[in-house]
Amino acid sequence: MTPLVLALPVALLAGAWLGAWLDRLVPVLWGRPAQGPFGPLRDGAALLARPTATTEAPDRLTRWLAPGTYLALAAVGLSVIPMAPGLAPLDSSVGIVVWGACEALTVIAVFLHGWSPNAPFPLIGAYRYVAIGLPVMLPSMFVLIAAALPAESLSLVQVVEAQREVWNVLRQPMGLPLFLLVGLTLTLRGPFDFADGADIAGGTSGQESGPGRALWQLARLTMLTAFSAMAATAFLGGPLGPGLPGPAWLALKTAAVMAVTVGLGHTVARTTPSQMLHPLWVGALPLSFLHLALAGWVAL
Amino acid sequence: MGGAVTLAAVILLGLFAVWSGCRVFVVDSMVRASFSLMLSFFCTGGIALVLHADYLGAATVFMMAVEMMVMAIFMIMFMMNPAGLNPMVMVHQNRLSIAAGAAAFALLAGAVLLSDLPDRPVDPARDTTANLGTELLGPSMLIFETAGVTLLAAMVGAVVLSSHRGRFGDTDAGACPPGLTEGGPPAGRRPEEGGGHGHGGGNG
Repeated sequence: MTPLVLALPVALLAGAWLGAWLDRLVPVLWGRPAQGPFGPLRDGAALLARPTATTEAPDRLTRWLAPGTYLALAAVGLSVIPMAPGLAPLDSSVGIVVWGACEALTVIAVFLHGWSPNAPFPLIGAYRYVAIGLPVMLPSMFVLIAAALPAESLSLVQVVEAQREVWNVLRQPMGLPLFLLVGLTLTLRGPFDFADGADIAGGTSGQESGPGRALWQLARLTMLTAFSAMAATAFLGGPLGPGLPGPAWLALKTAAVMAVTVGLGHTVARTTPSQMLHPLWVGALPLSFLHLALAGWVAL
Repeated sequence: MGGAVTLAAVILLGLFAVWSGCRVFVVDSMVRASFSLMLSFFCTGGIALVLHADYLGAATVFMMAVEMMVMAIFMIMFMMNPAGLNPMVMVHQNRLSIAAGAAAFALLAGAVLLSDLPDRPVDPARDTTANLGTELLGPSMLIFETAGVTLLAAMVGAVVLSSHRGRFGDTDAGACPPGLTEGGPPAGRRPEEGGGHGHGGGNG
């Protein structure tokens, strides 16, 4: 553990603000006016000022534990990512597996968030999310293992070092698109927002208001930050780049991935969970096998 | 100093593992039981991390998260209790379970106390993850692959069991809810003779 850990909360909050602002900039795509950079802060303050809604016989422990866990997972996920070449806040030799554990636990945090209010729509959102979240985690693992292959190491520091010559996004062209599916699922966005969708009245957040809701939204945005940084590290060379210092390159690439993720979330339509299951199992999973085989062949 | 911190961490994680393991039998729902068991496994993963088995620790957390999520969903799915939300008792066959538990504890505790435990400190610089990989895909390949294929067979079995379509038609064909009184007629609306209200398929 290095003093860089102190930079994590700053990075997470800055990323959350940027993600929330990008969300509010999206109407520009359709020629409508967008909100300024203070929009997210205003909306957050308004959310905090609202009273807390309660349901009948909720699970009080998991009600707060779920958003807290989600937030903590984003922080742990970000902590293994090198901010400068060779320098991660938490230099784990198995950083990719730690990130994988954060992904798997995200499914549980979202499930418990929907389970705790003891109400129908949140519970439906929770079940739908698990049904989609688990098959999405499988391609994610193969994509991440493929990213680790050229480095011959599970450490993200080594994964970055292995991209000095050529970035993984060129060596493994299918990796980033497949990983973006994972990002949309992890952050409950657009085509993969089966947990909190408007079609089930807000899903797992449907019965929530006030500080609890604000914490949940913040956790979603911090997870967007952690995911974007992870995608930038695994496929875009992370902090590597000419001229600027490492952290600046990482921040720029993270912002770029975040913009693409937010854009996809707002422009791609969502289908039903049962229809989504088929392309995930029959399309994305074999594609990720193929991707891993090709990446292994290239790495050899 | 480092040794004392490690020992304290192992003891605390062990105690929390036992406590959360006990919670599995005390709580009143499948979801709470599953995730209590998950916490217990996380503690064993934490012990592996404290002992510098980085890959084993992280992989335990990762695998248990997915496994317990799947287990919770399957238990709710095969349960009569709607949606797993009603309180329920998590124990049955108490005497047999207590005897089995006591016997297993005695056996394992005896094995720990009687066996000659190795004391070979590993060089911290050694790449234990690479060692583990070489072992799993080298000398222990047969064990590893046997476990893998067995788990795959179990997964295929679970999918077949939970599939709606089967060899003899849809699984809910001809199914009816239990009676409201013991031995009474089935509760709820019964399908009319001749089957179906124009749903087609004739599974009414």
